[in-house]
Amino acid sequence: MSTMTKADPATPAGSANPLQRRRPLGDRGFQLVALVAGLLVLIILVLITVTTAQQSTTWFTTAGFKGIFSVSFDGNTHFGAMGVLYGTVISSVIGLIVGVPVSIGIALLLTQVVPARLARPFVYVIDLLAVVPSVVWGLWGIIVLVPWLQKIYHDIASGVKGIPVLDSLFGGDAVGGASFFTAGLILAIMITPIISSLSREVIATVPDIDKEGAYALGATRWEMIRGAVWPHSQGGVVGAILVGFGRAMGETIAVALVIGDSVEVTSHLFYSGHSIAAIIALQFGEATGGEFRSALIGLGLFLFVLTIGVNLVARWFVERAARRARGA
Amino acid sequence: MMAAASNSLGQPVDLREPSGWRRSKNQIMTILMWLAFVIVLIPLAFVLVTLVAKGADAISLQFLTNSTIPPNVVPLGVGGMGAAVVGTLEITGFASLLAIPLGVLGAVYLNEYGGNGILARLISFMSSVMTGVPSIVMGLFIYIIWVLHFGYSGMAGSFALACLMLPIVIRSSYEMLRLVPDSLRQGSYALGATKARVTVTVVLPAALSGIVSGALLAVARAAGETAPLIFTILTVEQTNPNLFSGPDTSLPLQIFSNAQSAYVGANARAWGAALTLVAITFILMIVARIVTALFTRNTR
Amino acid sequence: MQHGRRRQAATFGVAAVAGAMALAACSSSSSSSSASGSSSSSSSSASSSSSSSSASGTIKAAGSTFQTNFQQTAISSFKSVSPNITVDYAPVGSGTGRSDLYSNTVLFAGSDSPVPKKEASKVPAGKTILYFPVQIGPIAIAYNLPSVKGLKLDATVLAGIFQGTIKTWDDPAIKALNSGMSLPSTSITLAVRSDSSGTTQNFSQYLVDAAGSAWKLGTSSTITWPSTARAGDGGSAVAQTVKSTPGAIGYVDFSTATASGLSAASVKNSAGDYVAPSSASATAAATHVTPKANLTFVTANEPGATSYPITYQSWDLVYAKQPTANDAALLKAYLGYLLGDGQKLLTQLNLAPLPSSIDSAAVQQLSKITS
Repeated sequence: MSTMTKADPATPAGSANPLQRRRPLGDRGFQLVALVAGLLVLIILVLITVTTAQQSTTWFTTAGFKGIFSVSFDGNTHFGAMGVLYGTVISSVIGLIVGVPVSIGIALLLTQVVPARLARPFVYVIDLLAVVPSVVWGLWGIIVLVPWLQKIYHDIASGVKGIPVLDSLFGGDAVGGASFFTAGLILAIMITPIISSLSREVIATVPDIDKEGAYALGATRWEMIRGAVWPHSQGGVVGAILVGFGRAMGETIAVALVIGDSVEVTSHLFYSGHSIAAIIALQFGEATGGEFRSALIGLGLFLFVLTIGVNLVARWFVERAARRARGA
Repeated sequence: MMAAASNSLGQPVDLREPSGWRRSKNQIMTILMWLAFVIVLIPLAFVLVTLVAKGADAISLQFLTNSTIPPNVVPLGVGGMGAAVVGTLEITGFASLLAIPLGVLGAVYLNEYGGNGILARLISFMSSVMTGVPSIVMGLFIYIIWVLHFGYSGMAGSFALACLMLPIVIRSSYEMLRLVPDSLRQGSYALGATKARVTVTVVLPAALSGIVSGALLAVARAAGETAPLIFTILTVEQTNPNLFSGPDTSLPLQIFSNAQSAYVGANARAWGAALTLVAITFILMIVARIVTALFTRNTR
Repeated sequence: MQHGRRRQAATFGVAAVAGAMALAACSSSSSSSSASGSSSSSSSSASSSSSSSSASGTIKAAGSTFQTNFQQTAISSFKSVSPNITVDYAPVGSGTGRSDLYSNTVLFAGSDSPVPKKEASKVPAGKTILYFPVQIGPIAIAYNLPSVKGLKLDATVLAGIFQGTIKTWDDPAIKALNSGMSLPSTSITLAVRSDSSGTTQNFSQYLVDAAGSAWKLGTSSTITWPSTARAGDGGSAVAQTVKSTPGAIGYVDFSTATASGLSAASVKNSAGDYVAPSSASATAAATHVTPKANLTFVTANEPGATSYPITYQSWDLVYAKQPTANDAALLKAYLGYLLGDGQKLLTQLNLAPLPSSIDSAAVQQLSKITS
């Protein structure tokens, strides 16, 4: 490769690199290679869909619609998807409920409150959160968090015993540290960086004019946020939240370690549960039977379609907000 | 700036000062925002402190290099995680070798050749969407198309990790390429260079530091992934020096299986492996930051 | 503006360093392995007396989780004795192990109890099963009460706890046996097995024998525990539950319990003494055992002041007639190792070796494996 030469209009052409007439083939070849590399994304996505669908046909045909839409999944006779789907959704929703306020709070803090120069160390801290691998969160979760929460859940459960709604949510006899709620908490920690950073990008595109205008009218910072920042960024923030939701649903290892291992649909959030990704990860090694393995792959396809769907909607929101901001 | 104003008693009133309850609301909201940050700090600090405290007990030269992973029941001090360290470096290294060039080329297509065409927009959009695909799906995918035919191997794990890294590298390289001012390209064209040459000799080098730091972050993410490896590399108790054949193991996998064990020795090894893994990803992240900080080009 | 070249070189350098990690790892891996096979000092001498077998291949085995620790450690040491033989032991529980043997998916099954009568019809016709005892050890009553050390229990109280009639730790029945100690009012959480388990079989048999009519749930490899009990797959799941649940109590083999850092209760034996589970107290119990001709026996409730009452045993079950000569040779090699030098591994795992008379009888039985 020749040395990099900056194009300098002052230098007459010809005194820079000796011009060689390139064969169009090399140029076209490069373009082709780049095109193929780009197409890889689409190719892989299509292949994933096709191959997992192929491998799941045993599950579809043996269990049938009725089997697939049942709750229980025991690796033997029952291969229903609803129980694990419930666990995936519930733990992700809990993750959102806990994580979204925190993420948005941080996003607002770093864009509106902390001066831009000082924001960098804060951003580093949030990135630290993102860099901790899922398995380490799971390890900490099962060894430190679960036993500690066990006692707290027990106390809460005995406290709400008998109270109508609270008892069915937070009460019950089989309350345990490894449960839907603990999985939700860990998920909240893990999705905060992505929701926060996407929200920050969106919020940062709010035109200064609108913000200054609000201040000029005598608004406090909170009022400015509500009146000028929020209307501009709500679409993008919704998109960010959906990205976080998709991430939470696909999260495997940390959830597998702290959600417990019973497949059931129950309102008790402190009970042991399971999720789609967790059951695939934990049971794949034991799945020797044809239908068992096919069912797990089928669940993987299910999860794939689900997360792609959520991400499509999410990215649409985010792109729309970004386009609006560029045009504004 | 502010017109002098006065209240009904004729005393001067500063219109910039909001009334009491509005001010309190503002203060409460600011406090809540700070609280959000503190809330997030707590588990982070907790996990890092536990990691260092428990992991440091386990780490020793023997732990990092001994190539025999002992059975779970054996207490700490026997054997080590050398096999997993080597596995992680090899598998992640090979995955990076696959994903980074392909990702950069894909970004080059999007930015330099694709323009606003429908294919480019589709690829760009779908690569964003693909970053949200769960890593376990990548593992299942490679299991179906590779492992079922050719068996478990470290290379299969690399394929799965590369699928994971590809969209991330594409997106971050794309952002970096977009930042390269057009004047650079046009100057080169003016000198008669072909598009390929312009891209390779002018645009890529200009964006290189950003691309490298983005790539390092993708590598850090891949190094910490467990799920794709479950279906592709199985496990071993001795270092497998051959990346291309035979099962292998890696730090995240070892942490995962040891975390599920009740044995004290296994848990201690899990913490040691976790500290090692976090140290590796941390180093990658710091190097990425240094690269960005030292070489950030001021955009015109 | 010469920064460009320097900058370019530097960032390339950084990228090269990252890429070089992989290459460095590849080249250093072969030189990093030092110790071969088993690395614990007391067991590395095991390789000397066994002759390495000329057989080669893979032995697939499955079964009792009680045998997990012994099998894992033995398999690891066996590699340096016979590198051509690979052994795979899947701890799926005694019941599943036996059914894998009936369906011929494994060469031997680990089982803590002989084939029960109700399974006799599942054994393929014409096949004789040989029982090779391999290890003896205590069933620990593991509990999670950080403030309580040296808990004492007897068969009647155990029966009450595990059938749910005794619900809290400060129940008068428990207090009566532990007069000096202050017991909290925490409720008792039971940790039990959900799978078909030899440990459950032996524990429930002990309760039937020692607690008599006080124990109402009978004996079987699966028991209908009280609905609030936490059931888990495999001994390690029970250990995991006890470890992470304050106030929990569970039955799990002592090797797993100690390796998990759990406390175990002392249990009253037939001589009236409270004995703590240990390799020594299990060995003491085993000295009183008289096996039948097929080498099956029961180690629970043995006499002796120092005997631990809930001691049990495990066998590796094989078919006497093997399909190929190589299979027979593989089994003889590995089982011979378990009965020979492998026995030296047991004490450090908090298990007990077989009494020498039983061991020699088992070694002699090896010749009955034919093809």
